[in-house]
Amino acid sequence: MTRSPLRLLRRAVRAWRTSLRVKVIGSTIAVALVALVLVGTVMSATIRDGIFDQRVNTLLLESSRSASIAQSTFNASTASNGTQVQQLLNDMMSALQPGGSSDHDIFLWRSLEAGPASISVNDISTAPERGSTISDRLRAAVVGGGDEQHWQSVAIPVAGGTEPGVIVGSTVEVPVAGTFELYFLYSLAPEQQTLTFIQQVLAISSVLLVGLLGAVTWLVTRQVVRPITQAASVAERLADGHLDERLEVRGHDEVATLGSSFNAMAASLQDQIEQLAALSDVQRRFVSDVSHELRTPLTTVRMASDLIYDSRATLPPALGRSAELLAMQLDRFQSLLDDLLEISRFDAGAAILDAERHDVRALVEHTVDGMTPLSELKGVPVLVDLGEREATADIDQVRVERILRNLVANAIEHADGTVVEVTVRADHRAVAVRVRDHGVGLTREQATHVFDRFWRGDPARARTTGGTGLGLSIAQEDALLHGGRLEAWGRPQHGAAFMLTLPRRAGMPLTSSPMTITGSNVEKAAAFLASVGSAPTGGSHGPATIPDLADPEEQP
Amino acid sequence: MTPMRPRILVIDDDTALAEMIGIVLRAEGFEATMCADGDQALAAFRSAQPDVVLLDVMLPGMDGTQVCRLVREESNVSIIMLTAKSDTVDVVKGLESGADDYVVKPFKPKELVARIRARLRHTQEAVAEQLTVGDLEIDVTGHRVSRGGEPISLTPLEFDLLVALARKPWQVFSREVLLERVWGYRHSADTRLVNVHVQRLRSKIEHDPENPEIVLTVRGVGYRAGVAPQP
Repeated sequence: MTRSPLRLLRRAVRAWRTSLRVKVIGSTIAVALVALVLVGTVMSATIRDGIFDQRVNTLLLESSRSASIAQSTFNASTASNGTQVQQLLNDMMSALQPGGSSDHDIFLWRSLEAGPASISVNDISTAPERGSTISDRLRAAVVGGGDEQHWQSVAIPVAGGTEPGVIVGSTVEVPVAGTFELYFLYSLAPEQQTLTFIQQVLAISSVLLVGLLGAVTWLVTRQVVRPITQAASVAERLADGHLDERLEVRGHDEVATLGSSFNAMAASLQDQIEQLAALSDVQRRFVSDVSHELRTPLTTVRMASDLIYDSRATLPPALGRSAELLAMQLDRFQSLLDDLLEISRFDAGAAILDAERHDVRALVEHTVDGMTPLSELKGVPVLVDLGEREATADIDQVRVERILRNLVANAIEHADGTVVEVTVRADHRAVAVRVRDHGVGLTREQATHVFDRFWRGDPARARTTGGTGLGLSIAQEDALLHGGRLEAWGRPQHGAAFMLTLPRRAGMPLTSSPMTITGSNVEKAAAFLASVGSAPTGGSHGPATIPDLADPEEQP
Repeated sequence: MTPMRPRILVIDDDTALAEMIGIVLRAEGFEATMCADGDQALAAFRSAQPDVVLLDVMLPGMDGTQVCRLVREESNVSIIMLTAKSDTVDVVKGLESGADDYVVKPFKPKELVARIRARLRHTQEAVAEQLTVGDLEIDVTGHRVSRGGEPISLTPLEFDLLVALARKPWQVFSREVLLERVWGYRHSADTRLVNVHVQRLRSKIEHDPENPEIVLTVRGVGYRAGVAPQP
């Protein structure tokens, strides 16, 4: 309950941020409201003042006439005693208020300033209960002002509140009785009503105006915003590869110009993309055709070479060695061809990820097991740390195994007889495999080039396993295909590390890695090496065992 | 079964390769016949009556997949495709046209021979055995499958696949295990082989291939034979 206004506010803020239309309509209404309030205030003040001034002028004129009539009547009077004077005053009262209507009230008071009178006359008025509205200040001003009129705005108490009024005072000379103060109290209620009515009309028309303005803005922004949102959605469709998508162009206004420019841009994009696609298609077909055309003769050569190789024992030594070289180099030729085809597939965007949920730890173990012959040949122990946490992920088993094989073989080859560490770590978003050697290492500059095609680092780092120079490039492409990444790190004389990080679920973006590439359990490796040095029996991991040349055959 | 040497028909337009394959096959004790043209392939097949057909995908005249389809129409002979392309689309197209297995060029002679032997293997098995799965009766010895007395024609490979599953109906077989049992691959190979052949087998033995009752998919693991025996 308490949260809902907050949520409403948040929604409003989001609407403000995300919708041009809301922004335009909102600011239009806000500005209009401020303007209308200002104008309305000024207008109603001006009207109020105008009405008031006009009314007061009329009233002053009227009261002045009434006062002068009263004065001339008094002057002409022959009253000489108290009773007569009282009668005179009473008559005057009814004369000044014809019909006895409550249009205005009249007060005829004996002036305070006048000296003691020779006769006693009562103050009279048409509404004695409102006598309190006449302030002492006004009375003083009237008495001291001679024949002049004085007036004052007052609040007249009525049932349930007050209403505005004006009181006008002057003095009259009454025969025998002396100076009297004559006050007229006029109610401004009708004027107040008029003013209230005008203000109401103003307020209502302001609200209507704001509403109308909002509606007009809505219409206008709709006309402007709709083409924009259409253009945005079409642009999105274009980006998704629907290159035939176009904007609908109507009329010749700016919006139509935007539309036709947009369409021209889309058409030119489509042309270029199609051209490029055709070009890349041609190139891909060429590479594919070349590799196909090469494969058939290669198969024949390969089979022939294998036959000769199998019977090399019966051949003279020179021919026998030739057969061996032929077979070996054919292997290399074939892997080069395979790698070239694979790279061309990546370049053409034709590589397809065949991802299924697999246990990466099992795959790492399996791969390292498969490397036993090489690790034994090189005398390089491979230490595997699979970590505590299960590490299943949506991966293409063939590709990931290829990456791992490549990294491990690479590390063994460059380890120079030191230990190779393979570490697996996982968190809830990613699985990482790090392969670390402690060999000659890489410079920072070299580490940035290891994924380049046909890149060879230190010429001293001879390739004995017949690498094609494309292995790491392919490995990186494979990692990218998974939405993962493959990183290299190295320090001269300290070794190199490669780390593969894969998202656990297909399509999950990779934000961080469960471990750092620079880490290495050096102590562990050192301790292991020490134990190996003293007793050459090796660790418990199959691939990490010290070469046992008695049984070089057969790996699982 | 027969003391005769297994007959292999090699359909390949590259005469050098065909000759080389011939040399290797004869050295391994097979009888090899050659055909260099897709258009003559069917005639060559009819006259040679081979046990295994080696078929190149790219052929002059009729395309390899077409030849495969035609041969499959009249025979359950084992067909191994020779392909230079390991791209998914081409491989799957080859398998769908009826090939049992494929070998990617360039292959080693031993690899080719292993594939051929794996296809011929079932002819050596001779254990009297009768299996039932769902409403199907399988005569393992006689290589016959029938439903209610009506025989169903399966290729040897499809038969092997069905028997492998039916022998242990309680067990779920992963694709890798099936590849080893049925195709004879010792190392992990292309699991698409399994998928395509399971589809083909289903289209022949299931009442409704869309809702299989005999060969069931176990999501994320593999396949197993249906347990409920009555339709």
